[in-house]
Amino acid sequence: MLKAVNDTIGGTPIGTAAESDRVFVRSRQQALRRALRAVLQVVNYAGLLVLVLVFAMPFAWMLSTSLKTLPETMIFPPEWIPSNPVWQNFADAWNTGPFLSYFVNSVVIAVGILVLQMLTIIPASYAFARYKFKGSGFLFGIVMVTLMIPGQLIFLPVYLELSAFKLLNTHLGLILPFASSAFGIFLLRQAFMQISDELLEAARLDQAAEWKIILQIMVPMVKPVLVTFALFSFIAHWNDYFWPLVMTTNETARTLPLGIAKIREVEGVATWNTLMAGNLILVAPILLVFFLSQRQIIKAFVYNGVK
Amino acid sequence: MTLWTKLRPYGMVAPAIIVFSLFFIYPIFYMIYLSMFDWNFVSPTKTFVGLQNFRDLLAEEDFRKVLSNTTIYTVLTVTLTTGLALLLALWLNKKSLFHGFVQGAIFSPHIISLVSISLLWSWLMDPEYGLLNWVIGLAGFDKLQWLSHPSTALVSLVMVAVWKGLGYNALVFIAGLQSIPADIYEAASLDRSKPWTTFTKLILPMLSPTIFFLVIINMIGSFQVFETIAIMTQGGPINSTNTLVYYIYEYGFRFFKIGYASAAGVILLVIVGILTIIYFKLLSNRVHYR
Amino acid sequence: MAKIELRNISKKFKDDTVIQNLNLTIKDGSFTVLVGPSGCGKSTTLRMVAGLEQQSGGDIWIDDKCVNDTPPGLRDVAMVFQNYALYPTMSVRGNIEFGLKNRGVAKADRDKLVKDISEIVGLAPYLDKKPQSLSGGQRQRVALARAMVKQPKVFILDEPLSNLDAKLRGQMRTELIQLHKRLGTTFVYVTHDQVEAMSMGDEIVVMNKGVIQQADSPMKLYNDPENLFTAEFIGTPAMNTMNMKDVQGLDIQTSVSIGFMGFRPEQALLNAGPEARGHVIEGEIVTRESLGAEQIYQIRARGGVFFVKTFLAPLETADRVKVTIPYEHLFYFGLGGERLRSGIEAGARQLVAAGGV
Repeated sequence: MLKAVNDTIGGTPIGTAAESDRVFVRSRQQALRRALRAVLQVVNYAGLLVLVLVFAMPFAWMLSTSLKTLPETMIFPPEWIPSNPVWQNFADAWNTGPFLSYFVNSVVIAVGILVLQMLTIIPASYAFARYKFKGSGFLFGIVMVTLMIPGQLIFLPVYLELSAFKLLNTHLGLILPFASSAFGIFLLRQAFMQISDELLEAARLDQAAEWKIILQIMVPMVKPVLVTFALFSFIAHWNDYFWPLVMTTNETARTLPLGIAKIREVEGVATWNTLMAGNLILVAPILLVFFLSQRQIIKAFVYNGVK
Repeated sequence: MTLWTKLRPYGMVAPAIIVFSLFFIYPIFYMIYLSMFDWNFVSPTKTFVGLQNFRDLLAEEDFRKVLSNTTIYTVLTVTLTTGLALLLALWLNKKSLFHGFVQGAIFSPHIISLVSISLLWSWLMDPEYGLLNWVIGLAGFDKLQWLSHPSTALVSLVMVAVWKGLGYNALVFIAGLQSIPADIYEAASLDRSKPWTTFTKLILPMLSPTIFFLVIINMIGSFQVFETIAIMTQGGPINSTNTLVYYIYEYGFRFFKIGYASAAGVILLVIVGILTIIYFKLLSNRVHYR
Repeated sequence: MAKIELRNISKKFKDDTVIQNLNLTIKDGSFTVLVGPSGCGKSTTLRMVAGLEQQSGGDIWIDDKCVNDTPPGLRDVAMVFQNYALYPTMSVRGNIEFGLKNRGVAKADRDKLVKDISEIVGLAPYLDKKPQSLSGGQRQRVALARAMVKQPKVFILDEPLSNLDAKLRGQMRTELIQLHKRLGTTFVYVTHDQVEAMSMGDEIVVMNKGVIQQADSPMKLYNDPENLFTAEFIGTPAMNTMNMKDVQGLDIQTSVSIGFMGFRPEQALLNAGPEARGHVIEGEIVTRESLGAEQIYQIRARGGVFFVKTFLAPLETADRVKVTIPYEHLFYFGLGGERLRSGIEAGARQLVAAGGV
């Protein structure tokens, strides 16, 4: 840039033939460079488009299949637009099992977990962040171990435990192991620690009682983190397949993901149209929520995506 | 200080600590205990066998296959996901509406249930009518068996895992890139640093905490892969996709060999434990630029 | 309105003794400024008065009540914090009336108090805004209003102006002085900036390393510093001090041992005529700062580098100058930094010489 400016300044006065030749060559080089940049730009956007396709096409394929007749799914090369959309597939999928019950169970369990988590992680993270007490290091160690040990690893003993408590096939059995969240405590403790001491001191000078300081000042201040965690927790447990699969032996407490996976057992392996219809019932709400609150959700996961 | 203010913190952490103790800490010890017994879950008596379960496990051909499957799956998934994600992040790290849309698109699989993804990809990978065979057909390749053939099944599962994890990893990298202050790039360009040098000498070292975080998180996640296997392959064909958690699940819930399954669980616990310790050691020793 | 007394106060953080045996009386209705370099214990002292920090030993009295065991909310003390500490989740009104609510003040009374205060500090149009949407100066006013509305006996201000830009700081300074006049309440103010201290306080407490160096009125501090620390701390630029070992040709007779000599930059004369009688130092001008009405010269002499400040005088262009400091403007300090006020006879030689004529 600087060089170019120098050149033009040095190039005055213009007028001689050699000068104008040089100007011409330079402008041609510039044109070339501009063209190259344009080509690169096109390649760049084409690449981005392909990238989007890699991620969007499977979902489009799911939608397309869910509206096909069974024979239409068995055409190769495949056709994208079904000649006659078969909405019946969704009804068929819904009727393969007690889907209303699956849905209710999913809601009860995901919401139940969320509520209990809020009740346990807020006081615990506040205490870890703000109070000095004997044994806090040890107790926080328990939280950290829990944070690092994936639940998937200890399902067997937990199963035996729940079976001993007679909690298999109950909502409570699927909720209680997740009644608190080490990840949530970790995240929220961090947020509480970042609040300046001055604020607490101001509140104490304002004669506010401790519970009032926590509920009226501290908790509202970490609300963004709470929302982030709530989204994270809800999506994780709404989608969960492993725990409900392991901790249930009959339909009473089973959730939507289990119901969808079961369509294949009921309908047979190759009924992809019904299966994709069922799958769409599970995926569509989440995708819808995602595109409505994309920024919040990405923040929820990327922000500190341990686990 | 009154008694109440002294007890208050304990009261506040108690509910969480009780949950963790009951459903995480105690089960770990219970599992270690069970791993030393022979028990079929129904019979009232457990027979103490010491370390026999571990000896049996390690001697068993199947289990060694499971360990090697899990390792191959983990190594492939982690390197591909992290590496591709870094490239994507460098490419997509711009703040425009369109880039935001692309980022959203590649992130979307992360919030979808693994059940849905497994079912969807089973269909995409259908050897007869699957979309994937059509796509590679367009590129001039022959149809593949994907999940139905022992030589391609594990790699197919890796593909699904990379597809699901790529967006999340790329976005974490983008967040890492954006936390590098812009004036460092400016200083580098004033020092006439070449793009490649800037990348290897500045960006990569400053991203190293993010890289380690993702590698370890991906590793721990891959070591316990279950859903895709349970839905897409059930460990087959001929055990080519059987992995640790699925193995434990089958021995516990299908063959009711609780002690045996617990021993396998302890081995998994040790692996994950070592990974976690390595992570924290590396994090505290080497990778600190902020 | 209240008098504050600190008696034999000490403060330890773990094994670190920050303050030892501090005794201080803050007069009723005064504007007392605690000033000192960072880490000198001024903020800690202030926080102990507010009750935010518990002293390790000694008593704190507000009026005739020992408040050692009174929680901060009940000490009748209001505080303005360095970073304002406004509750970000509450509106301006919410911030101001939070303390009143906690005291159980009825809604009607609250509304009236908030209305009155917000008019005094000029916040009336912003009552329903969140603090984040206000400017620095406005936030400062909210913090003030929140303190004032409680009608406390004592106002405590912990570096309240340090986050404002220079112009706003000057403006808030005057406003605080006026506010103090109007309320007549005891103000205790902490700052590390001696200019701020001098311009605002009617009583200034200079602290260093947890020890009170001097507590006096601003003019007394300037004219009559108790020790080397105060002398070097107060004034812009601060007093020039020199180790006696480096001082040459000083014409005094003394019965005590002098450790340091000092003089204020504004009391030295540049290239004065022979009629000016005083200690003479010759040196080289290193830098000139020309501020318009005043000029500040940095001069290097054999004894060291010092400053000279002149008012309404033309800029000195010569490189080498003769600096004369009248004897009555020389300050002497002992080996331990304490001020020496007697036992030193200045200019004896010249007097003798004069007498000889």
